Amino acid sequence: MSVANIKEEQGRIVIALEGDIDLENAGEVRKALLANLKQKKDLLIDLSAVSYIDSSGIASLVEGLQVARKQKNELSLVSVSPRALRVLELARLDKVFAIHADVATALAARP
Amino acid sequence: MTITTTNSGDSGALNFAATLARSFAASLNVDATVGQALASIIQLLETEAGSLFLLDDTGAMLVCRASVGPVKIDGLAVPMGQGIVGRAVAEDRLLVVENAYEDKNFFKAADERTGFVTRSILCAPMRVGDKLIGAVQVLNKRSGHPFDGVDGKDANMLQVMANAAALAISNARLADQLLEQERIKRELELASEIQRSLLPAEDDDLPICGINRPIREVSGDFYDYFELPDGTIAFALGDVSGKGMNAALLMAKTASLFRCLGKTIRDPARLLSILNREICETTSRGMFVTMVAGLYEPATGLLRYANAGHLPPLIKFPDHLYETVAPDAPPLGILRDMHFIDHEIDLKGGLFVAFSDGLTEFRYGDEELGVDGLNQLLEYAHDGPLRQRLEMVLAELDQGGWQAKDDLTLLAIDDRAAGKAWQRERVPAVAAPAEADFLFGLSFPADPSRLKMMRPALEAAAKACQFGEDEIQDLVLAAGEAIENIMIHAYGGQVKGEITLAVHRLPDGIMLRLRDFAPRVDAGKIEPRPLDEVRPGGLGTHFIRAIMDDASFIPLPDGEGNLLELVKRRKNATESAEATAVAAAGGADSKGGN
Repeated sequence: MSVANIKEEQGRIVIALEGDIDLENAGEVRKALLANLKQKKDLLIDLSAVSYIDSSGIASLVEGLQVARKQKNELSLVSVSPRALRVLELARLDKVFAIHADVATALAARP
Repeated sequence: MTITTTNSGDSGALNFAATLARSFAASLNVDATVGQALASIIQLLETEAGSLFLLDDTGAMLVCRASVGPVKIDGLAVPMGQGIVGRAVAEDRLLVVENAYEDKNFFKAADERTGFVTRSILCAPMRVGDKLIGAVQVLNKRSGHPFDGVDGKDANMLQVMANAAALAISNARLADQLLEQERIKRELELASEIQRSLLPAEDDDLPICGINRPIREVSGDFYDYFELPDGTIAFALGDVSGKGMNAALLMAKTASLFRCLGKTIRDPARLLSILNREICETTSRGMFVTMVAGLYEPATGLLRYANAGHLPPLIKFPDHLYETVAPDAPPLGILRDMHFIDHEIDLKGGLFVAFSDGLTEFRYGDEELGVDGLNQLLEYAHDGPLRQRLEMVLAELDQGGWQAKDDLTLLAIDDRAAGKAWQRERVPAVAAPAEADFLFGLSFPADPSRLKMMRPALEAAAKACQFGEDEIQDLVLAAGEAIENIMIHAYGGQVKGEITLAVHRLPDGIMLRLRDFAPRVDAGKIEPRPLDEVRPGGLGTHFIRAIMDDASFIPLPDGEGNLLELVKRRKNATESAEATAVAAAGGADSKGGN
């Protein structure tokens, strides 16, 4: 139950993740990201319901980011839970990813 | 034996024959019998000398086996048909020579060599039924008279006594043969015992088991298995062409070579290739060995094997039977430079069965058991400990009236039993520091689905060690990363690998010990990546180093896996050191785990 919901809002795909993301299900996250990136649209990853994420989950996000950048799309994180933010900070990736308070802010941030 | 007789008539000869027969019935030795017979004849016929010749194995030479008189001629060999003795046997009749030096058949060489002067000779052939076995001759009557004629008293007595002696000698020979047979039987029993000692000792803790049942005393089949230091099991099953002692000797050689090579060569195909070369170099022509050799990892269920001309092993799954591919290389001992091929199978809980053709060739009338029959038997004997199941298969065949035609060998590996290895004693525990208070230990497979089950326990442990909420979350993350490293790097994703976790409370923090049983990990290979490089991988190790105060591998003996020790100290440790010391003292007796 790593990928909770996928919807499209104002031309961007919003993928909501939930629960614990570790080696067991990081592959599902990676698959969902890469599959949706094929639409060549910007991605917003909602991390509000993520209770735990480890390096394998982060690695999936990083791979998504790399693919997005290559194809000139954006991949941003929104509603990052404190736990997920702590892990991003540990990885020093909090400055690499664009992080927004919530989906609305993210949508507003870019014309 | 001494025969005393006062009347030297026919009754004396009969007495002699009776006594001889009685006495020889107890004698089991040909040489003793021959000597006794001759001594008695000479005493009874009152002659100066005498000798007894027996035909040798070729039937062409008569060899003196006993002689009485002033000169011994034991060992003297006379060709059949030559001399008086040779003629008596060749012509199968009693000969009387009144004056030896006037007889053209007299073999003077003996007299010339010994200085004895032969005057008259009486020589009788010895026979048992139709079979001539030699002759006995007596020389020079003590009275000085020549022997009387062919129909005379002397001649009759000698012939009667020669016949009795022949019978006694023949009996003694039979007795000797029986003794020889008995000796061979004892040697075979000894050989059989030595062969059994070449088979591995039963170890019900291992998920492998074999049965070998020779059709004769010794077997041309063998099986072997042994556990390597990392828990991998090396195994082999072979069948030497032919039966009997020569097959048994080649079996002993092949089994010994396997046991020696199998400890260092971790590649079944290469092992068979070396064995093949060795057997080709030193084994007599026409003999060969079919063999399956392999390695089985109880931790992963993976089995690697190579097959040199042997029947394909079977894998029995609960719902179907899988017959492995036909052998892709000839038996050992045929061609010197052969390539063998490794096959890898994931047993997935199935039963791996290698066997000699003695098993599938069990017969019931015209019916042969075959692979289908074996499958049915395995299905029938699907429950209980492995050894019991194999014995059930054989008992079913025996009770069903099936007849074995050949040596029978069966080797099975039960992947279901693999988990048992977990309960077995591992290396002696590496003692935890005295101040460590053992909280709990967990053992689990290297399966990522177990990670989420671990986290609540770790969280509770960290709480018990008085860590703050953020530190608890960090600690759970670092431990998870370390476990994932083991799953990915040490076990290479093999989900059946065993991991143990021991959690200890320290006065100022927590200590985790993670143990795996995989090949040694080169700690240098799991380096954290440079953080400015945005890419996956290496991140977990970075987390561990960022969160834990200490992360180090504790050296273990080679082949015993890896032991990683993680220590995290509380940030506020100095402030509450006293309180913790009191808490730790309460559980100080319960050391344990890794």
